[in-house]
Amino acid sequence: MSENVLTMFKTVAERVDKRSFDDVTRESVITDLGIDSLSMMQIVGEMETELNLQIPDEDLVEIVTVGDLCSKVERRLAAA
Amino acid sequence: MAMKMRIEERLYREYMEFFEKAERERRWNIFNDVPWDQINPDAPEELALCAETFASVEMYLPDYVAGGINVVRDYFGRAWFQANWGYEESKHALALGEYLMRSGKRTKDEWFDHQNVVLSKEWELPFSTGRQMTCYGMIQEQATFLIYCKHRDFAKRENDECLRTIYDYIARDEIAHTRFYQSVIKILLEEDREGTLSDLAHVFANFEMPGVGLVPDYDTRILQMRDNGGIDRNIFIRKVYLPLLKYVGIDRHEMLAAQRRELEARRNRESIVETTSSAAE
Repeated sequence: MSENVLTMFKTVAERVDKRSFDDVTRESVITDLGIDSLSMMQIVGEMETELNLQIPDEDLVEIVTVGDLCSKVERRLAAA
Repeated sequence: MAMKMRIEERLYREYMEFFEKAERERRWNIFNDVPWDQINPDAPEELALCAETFASVEMYLPDYVAGGINVVRDYFGRAWFQANWGYEESKHALALGEYLMRSGKRTKDEWFDHQNVVLSKEWELPFSTGRQMTCYGMIQEQATFLIYCKHRDFAKRENDECLRTIYDYIARDEIAHTRFYQSVIKILLEEDREGTLSDLAHVFANFEMPGVGLVPDYDTRILQMRDNGGIDRNIFIRKVYLPLLKYVGIDRHEMLAAQRRELEARRNRESIVETTSSAAE
């Protein structure tokens, strides 16, 4: 499942930011990828919509790496 | 016409409530209320540099007032708010400038030279309509409030009670301003939700703090401001974006949909410009 979520992140990020995110790993720091905070909110929102889940706002502010986001999505999927 | 009258009345009531509270609870006097005798002369240069940065941004007041008031002059409540806003903001640059001179961190000549450099450039209105400028004001004042709070703590850590007090007064003004803008946005959302959401998405997508590209050495100053204030990159989402959406009653996903539409519209505009340019060549 973790590969699927990471792949989804790359696809959505590419759609939102109009550039490739092929080299991204779970360890990548989101701000280092040049993704600004508003684009990040958009990426999260798109993933939530596609997977029909919702990450609480208080969890969003803890996300630093791509892996942080993937883990939160995976936990929600597992709980569903 | 009926909608304009209704908005006019509601904005007037909001302004009267804001102004009554400001007159009753929030007025402060630069000569009597600031403890000028509690400046810490040994405070580090970083404290002065940050104060100078804030004073510099506040110094574009003539441009903020001129641009800001004309774009909202068709609604009494908003226009009078801008006039009062100008008075309150005028004290911010004054207090910070006085601090720099009285603390001995800047001589009078240095300060006036700096003023001339700052005012040699002109701030231009970043958005063209009253509603977009209200969105901009709401975001900018919330961000500014947060930054002043962080630097109030910095001044306290450096035992400068005078600067701590100045930042405290300024932060109180800024939060009152953002609350007014929030109330106006709530009204505008009730009257035209889709249009207001679209403007808010547009402003969020193109938002920049007012000193960008104007204040000398801005990038270096901003790094200092972030380091000393403990301001990280996520703070905009945590303390500005999410709280503002919550206060005005917009769900994150509703905002996302508006942002998506805004992005599409921008891409379409860019595509039309590209096509027109290619055709012209």
